Amino acid sequence: MKGRIRLLTLLVAVSLLVSGLAVMTGGASAGAALKGRVAVILDVGGRGDLSFNDMGFKGTDEAAADFGLQMDEIQSASDADYLPNTRNAAVSGKYDLIIGVGFLLTDAFNTVAAEFPNQKFAIIDSVVDQPNVMSIVFRENEGSALVGALAAMVAAYYGYPKVGVVLGIEIPVLYHFEAGYRFGIAWGNKKYEQVKGTNPNIGLLWTYTGTFSDIAKGKAASEAMLAQGAGLIYNVAGPLGIGDLEAVTEAVRAKGQEAGPPFMIGVDANQDYLGDGHRVLASMMKRVDRGCYKAVADVVHGTFQGGIVSLGVINRGIAISRYQDLLDFIQFGINAKAITEADRAKIISNWLEMRGKIPYWIWDAVSELEMKIVSGEIVVPTANTVEEMQAVRAQYPLP
Amino acid sequence: MKGLALISRLRPFGESLLAGLVGLAVGAIIMLIYGFDPIEAYIALFRGSFASLYSLSEALANATPLILTGLTFAIGLRGGLFNIGAEGQVYVGALAAIAMSLFQLPAGLHLIATLLVAMLAGALWSLPAAILKLTRGVHEVISTIMFNWIAHFLAYYLIANILVDPRRAEKTISILPSARFPILVPRTSLSYGILVSLFCAGLVLFLLWYTTIGFEVRAMGFNPAACRYAGIKRWRTALFAFVIGGFTAGLAGAVHVMGRPPSYAIFSGLGGLLNLGFDGLGVAMIGRNHPFGIVLAAIFFGGLMSGGRLMQISPGVPLELIRVVEGVIIIALAIPELVRLFRLFKWPLIWRRT
Repeated sequence: MKGRIRLLTLLVAVSLLVSGLAVMTGGASAGAALKGRVAVILDVGGRGDLSFNDMGFKGTDEAAADFGLQMDEIQSASDADYLPNTRNAAVSGKYDLIIGVGFLLTDAFNTVAAEFPNQKFAIIDSVVDQPNVMSIVFRENEGSALVGALAAMVAAYYGYPKVGVVLGIEIPVLYHFEAGYRFGIAWGNKKYEQVKGTNPNIGLLWTYTGTFSDIAKGKAASEAMLAQGAGLIYNVAGPLGIGDLEAVTEAVRAKGQEAGPPFMIGVDANQDYLGDGHRVLASMMKRVDRGCYKAVADVVHGTFQGGIVSLGVINRGIAISRYQDLLDFIQFGINAKAITEADRAKIISNWLEMRGKIPYWIWDAVSELEMKIVSGEIVVPTANTVEEMQAVRAQYPLP
Repeated sequence: MKGLALISRLRPFGESLLAGLVGLAVGAIIMLIYGFDPIEAYIALFRGSFASLYSLSEALANATPLILTGLTFAIGLRGGLFNIGAEGQVYVGALAAIAMSLFQLPAGLHLIATLLVAMLAGALWSLPAAILKLTRGVHEVISTIMFNWIAHFLAYYLIANILVDPRRAEKTISILPSARFPILVPRTSLSYGILVSLFCAGLVLFLLWYTTIGFEVRAMGFNPAACRYAGIKRWRTALFAFVIGGFTAGLAGAVHVMGRPPSYAIFSGLGGLLNLGFDGLGVAMIGRNHPFGIVLAAIFFGGLMSGGRLMQISPGVPLELIRVVEGVIIIALAIPELVRLFRLFKWPLIWRRT
């Protein structure tokens, strides 16, 4: 009898031990169930734009390197590719996270996220209302207001009557830029009047080119704006900025000079290092890279959650370019083979000289606007629909 | 005698097979030069095109409009016309289909009405080229290219201004669910639209080979002088080829927007509609301008497109290089028919070798 009880106790103890071990190992594998791969799906914009798409790639690439993951990049040749590309990535089951860089992927992500509820997704610039999708959006209107104010005051300072903006395809995201830019120009006009006594009434020239890939259209639109007296041109169409800058460079050289004005204003990435460092006055940085990095980091740390993540001036998801950003992005430009190591020193000195020529009160005014946006004293208007955009245009016509 | 006939029938297949192998080999060399493993890449290509129900469905979904635009070009060529207007007619057909979703109609009726309107729109767009050809002798290559561009910019205008989705300015309104083709294989892009394409291929086969007008069209393609002597009217055959071609091209645009998830709309810049017409030219070449061959060639084309997508995921070949490899394979496959075309082409006297 006693022997039997001892045997029973032994059996119970062993089984407890075994099951305990099973629980422990099971728990461990659930926590570390990373497959070690992330996918980045790009829309028709594609790589090599030195802005939006390259930023999405940069952020994911940095996160992959930091956390020891492999990254696969999937480009789309046309909108017919969005759904199959997204589905292929989900079907493969190889990815811890599938990141969609761009609003145009919205419908595809909506469909596939519902089909694969256990796959984690993140999408930039769009809200996909599914529990397994992290929607990373930016308050581009805030940053566009900053560069709009800067553009208006600088244009007035150099005696130009207009500023311009070259936009891509008419999507709600681009309305954020246009609305903020309009507000910023109006604010800059008023500020200039406060300081100098006369309202310069800087007007706005704007074009939706209908493309995120045809660089020649960016150049053509910019040339038309420069001919009508634009002193600064804001690039809001990713790679088209390369064409914008060509037009600006030709206009500068036609005056027998190398440094602006006229200037371009960069977008998404810091593009100040382009144009030898003295033809891009500032950039409205939209840190797509930080958004992608956060999504990957959250997956690795096990804190990934579906829902909206909104990045703005207050959390540095949106910012106007500063000196440190120039240093960071010169390296980005060298990696992308847009510039070479030999250009570094020249670009930095050119940039400092360009910025130094702008009166200090203008930079102070931009900082003041920034502080007021952070504190909530100023709420920059935005637009998501055609009607809302028309309302903003009516409020800030900027003839 | 019978054996000889069989061999001559199989010869096109043999030629295509050889050409395809040459294309694959050249593609492999290109990938090797750029440091990618061609075997792994071709395995991905096969897996993404025909290896599973999912990938086969994607291939067929891509083939759906290409069968129709292939037919457009083939009918023209059979009748001695080099009609490359499918591209513009596709846009017009798709726009007409979208415009039909401005109206509400009962489910089945809406779909049929949309198809009919798109067909008519495609045919209408082909008419000016036909009329210019018959009344003023304007060569159809010139006029169809011009009408492609007119359609292109007309589409830009309509997409941005008239048919625009007020909440999503980057695309047109979507085809209403009552006019959409249901999905044939769940969780794929393949819709019942493929049946329309296959039906049209059968119909064109019947029209060209089993009706009088079809015989006249083909005879005109073989020898216009003999046809004139035999009393076959040039305007009848040309008009027939243009209009039937317009019907199928218009349908191609319609099945693309009515049966292609998830958006069922045209994106600004024309997106997925671009090149459907010109790809049809390649499809017709590879398919030897015969409806049966065109169906096979379109499925092959579609497989190449969907398999190419997978080559990005698995061996990580960049999209641009994939398109180079695809282009090489397609050109290789088209060479046998191109050679035949060049032999048939009536060179101007001064260029003709004697």
